[in-house]
Amino acid sequence: MTPTGIRYISSREQTMQDRTGALGRLEQVVSTPEEFERVVSQALPILLERATNSTKRFLRETGQWCDDVAHEKFALRWGAEYLEQFFIAGRSEVPCRPLFLLDAVVAKQHSRPEPFCYHPDLLTPLGRLIDGLVSRAAISRDALIALYYHCFGLGPGQVITVLGLTGPAGQRIYKNFKRWRDSGWQRTMDDMGITECEVQDLCSQLQRHPQPSNSEAERIIRIAQSHYRKSEPDHYPCLSRRQWEEMFLEGYGSDYRIWHLALCLDCFTAAWDLGFRGAAAIEKPRVEFHVRP
Amino acid sequence: MEREQDLTDYRDRLLNAVKAGARRSACGTSDSIQVFVNQRRVGLLDGKGVEATLQVQTDVRIDSVQLRSEDGVLLGGLSAPEYGFRTSRIPLMRDTIELRVQNYAQGGSVSAISIPAPSFFHRVRRGLVGVADSAAPRPVTFAGSGMRAIAFAQVLLAVALVGLVADRTTGWMTPAHPPLSVTQTEAPWAAPLAEVMKLEQQLVELSRMQAKAVDTIQTQQQGMAQLQRTMAKLSSTQETVASSVLTVKQEMEQRRKGAGRDADRMTRVLMSKAQSEQEQLEAEIHSLTVANDQLSRERAQLEQSNLELKKRLKSTGMEVSKATVPDREKPVVAQQSEPASPPQMAEARTVPQQPPFLFWVTFSEGTNQDSIDQWVHDMHGRKGALSEGWQAVEIVPPTEPMERFLDQIKQTKIVKAVRISR
Repeated sequence: MTPTGIRYISSREQTMQDRTGALGRLEQVVSTPEEFERVVSQALPILLERATNSTKRFLRETGQWCDDVAHEKFALRWGAEYLEQFFIAGRSEVPCRPLFLLDAVVAKQHSRPEPFCYHPDLLTPLGRLIDGLVSRAAISRDALIALYYHCFGLGPGQVITVLGLTGPAGQRIYKNFKRWRDSGWQRTMDDMGITECEVQDLCSQLQRHPQPSNSEAERIIRIAQSHYRKSEPDHYPCLSRRQWEEMFLEGYGSDYRIWHLALCLDCFTAAWDLGFRGAAAIEKPRVEFHVRP
Repeated sequence: MEREQDLTDYRDRLLNAVKAGARRSACGTSDSIQVFVNQRRVGLLDGKGVEATLQVQTDVRIDSVQLRSEDGVLLGGLSAPEYGFRTSRIPLMRDTIELRVQNYAQGGSVSAISIPAPSFFHRVRRGLVGVADSAAPRPVTFAGSGMRAIAFAQVLLAVALVGLVADRTTGWMTPAHPPLSVTQTEAPWAAPLAEVMKLEQQLVELSRMQAKAVDTIQTQQQGMAQLQRTMAKLSSTQETVASSVLTVKQEMEQRRKGAGRDADRMTRVLMSKAQSEQEQLEAEIHSLTVANDQLSRERAQLEQSNLELKKRLKSTGMEVSKATVPDREKPVVAQQSEPASPPQMAEARTVPQQPPFLFWVTFSEGTNQDSIDQWVHDMHGRKGALSEGWQAVEIVPPTEPMERFLDQIKQTKIVKAVRISR
């Protein structure tokens, strides 16, 4: 056997030993938040693999798995999501055995009716991009406001007008836009595993065939919105135009308007011209998808 | 290979993101914190340098509480217990968020309080107030500060002792001794004794002062503790009032929305009911119109046939009247020839005589002959041959379909079975 081969085998053995040791530590009881943080920080790759494998198993068992990069990335993404939640919430669960706590966190997520938004159309490059934007909008106000731009091409001023916002709420919109352009969009792309090459392809596709691409985008946006709108509070249901009109006229529910209209194409179309307050409204909005911020 | 590399890069990126944690956030200290309960956004903590509170009550059990920045980064969180309450203090960039989650038998509640970091001037002022002020609210630190004061007094005492001893030592070491009133042999004992007495007196004085100082400090600390308790009570009352106001506001808004929603629902129900009734009415009107048209057509046909009948009657009457006159004139000829008959009678006569319909029946056990005869009579038939228990019966051919006729026969009480072939 060559020296390289021997080195390879010995490093592999070493890795195996390290891994076994780390797993052993993760199976032991940790008593304080600091200890939890230390033990978990040292074993993040192992825990990510475990959470990812659980997600893969769930996808296989529910007939949603396909052996390709998109599915691998999907499982990794959700594995990382669970790991982050476990890392944050686990500190309040001490004393515990971290490995089993992670299993419990993942199992709890998978026991929910729809643990994540899975749809074959959301695994294409365009689908992944839209899934990333809408899923981020469910947890980030920056992404939520940016949806008005990505879906309809509205700038901050137009968003303020359309939503009928006044005072400091308007200032926040500018701030949201700026932060999204500075770092939010790129972080979302990184979190979704969308490469620069894929972004360029999507841009050129939209440029070459705007009509079919926008129709496809609208279809996918509807799929994603119907899932992620559940992250809104229970008291944010769809409203009729008359109810929206009342809300706009009386000036209440600015948070309702911001959250719901960004995540519901139908309500946005219904309430489109209410923010103009009698001024000449622009024609009804259509989805004009923008890839870059 | 490229696929593996792509996945490895992605995995590394995700791991780095998890490691970076809250540091990834690009939000500043003045930005709001989003509060999520069971992964649903329930509100904002908009402190901006002042204490802010968010209280949420849910009908469902609470699993998790998460704090996220406006750019979506997970800043902290808490996993709720199955039952009971759990608290956690999450230090952020400047402020601290105190999370308190409680689960009841049905539902739960979350309270998030943003406690701003003290400003520079506040810290300076607190520093000036002293150790006791900063430590007063907590009994442990209260005891600690008392101990520190005693230790300080003891150190002071030790320093004084050392000073006195040093003073004495330097006195001994000094070559020019002051003139003494005692003898040389008594001198080494007499001087220290006087000094010791003086020292004792000073010590007593010092310990009295120390006790006084300790008393004063304790009184001050008690006063401060009382003040702190009052402040805490006041702030909790204020918090309760603020939360009550918030709850009332939320309830009012919910009620307003609820009332509006109820009215809308009621209107929708009434509208849909009215619409369905209208549709039903339209359907009935349509069917009535159709029936009316049909009736009109039938009436027209009846009138038409009535007219025809009248015409025919008239013509028949005329023919009869024409025929009656020659009969009276030639009665003998008329008796010899065939009498004139109406068309219907002529038709009846032309119908050929149909053969009788033959069928066989068996009768129930114990049926007597009289009953059988009566039944045959009622059928306007006559009995035929009896063969192997089957009685042949001949009747006028039935007008109804054969199956129905046989069913009727079978339903007769005395008939057990019936057949039409031998």
